[in-house]
Amino acid sequence: MGFFYISDDGTVDSGQQGNDVVVLVAGGEIDYSASPQLSERLSERIDGGITRVVLDLSTVTFIDSTAIGALVSAATRLRELGGGTLAVVCPEENRRVVRIFEIAGVDSVIAMHGSREDAIAELATVT
Amino acid sequence: MTVRVRAEQDANELQLPARPAKLAAAREYAHEAAAAFGFDADRCYEVAFAVNEAVTNAIRHGRPDAHGCIYLSALADGDRLTLAVRDCGTFTASAAASTANGEGGRGFPLMARLMDAVQLCVSSESTTVRLSKARD
Repeated sequence: MGFFYISDDGTVDSGQQGNDVVVLVAGGEIDYSASPQLSERLSERIDGGITRVVLDLSTVTFIDSTAIGALVSAATRLRELGGGTLAVVCPEENRRVVRIFEIAGVDSVIAMHGSREDAIAELATVT
Repeated sequence: MTVRVRAEQDANELQLPARPAKLAAAREYAHEAAAAFGFDADRCYEVAFAVNEAVTNAIRHGRPDAHGCIYLSALADGDRLTLAVRDCGTFTASAAASTANGEGGRGFPLMARLMDAVQLCVSSESTTVRLSKARD
C-alpha cells in the first residue's frame, strides 16, 4: 500500500466573519486507496460551513484521476454553495503532479497556485 | 520486486488481488517493467500512471476472477512495450463516460495522453486494456 497523509494545517483569519480560509495538507500518493479519505475530509469541512479551502499538495508524489475527481466534486460543491473556492497549491518543481492537473484540464474549476502564500492571498481577494 | 520483460505473452503475468490497497503494487510492477525495457524515469512514471488508471477501472467497474484477482502482464515487442490489464468483467461504455465537470471519466483520456496507444478488448469473458509505448 502506498504512503498517504492528510492533515489540517490551521485556519487563516480573513478579517471577514465566516470567511476564514482553511488550509489542508496532503502528501504522498493519492490513488484510489486514498482518494476517498481526501473526499471525506473535504466534505467534512464543507459540511461544517467552510467555503474557502486551500489544499496544499506540494509533497504529493502521485495523484490519480479519482483524486482529481474528488477535488472537482468539492470545488463544484463549494461554488454551488455560493462563492466558495478550492485553491490547490503545487509548485512547478513538482512537475509530475502539475502535469497531471494540466492534462486533466480542470483549471476552469480548480485554481492552481505555486505557493501557499499565493493561494491564501488570492482567496482573500474573493468577496 | 523484480519484473522481467519477456518476449512471450503472459510469461510474467502478475496476479493481483482486486483491492485499492494493491494499486501501489500495480504501479511498482509497471514501473519495473518500463525500467527493464529501458525507458527513462519520466517514461516509467507515465507507464505506471496509465497502468494505475487501468487497474483502478478494473477494481471499480470490472470483475475479478474466482480468486478475487485481476491480471497484469508486460510484453516487449521490438521497440514497443505493452502493459495489459485484464479482468473478468464485460466492459460497458457507461463506466468510461465523461461529463464536463463530473467526478469520473478522466481515466481513459489521461491514459491516452500518456501512452502511444490504448486498446480496449472486450470479450464475453473478459475485458483487457492494452497500454503501449514505443521507444523514440
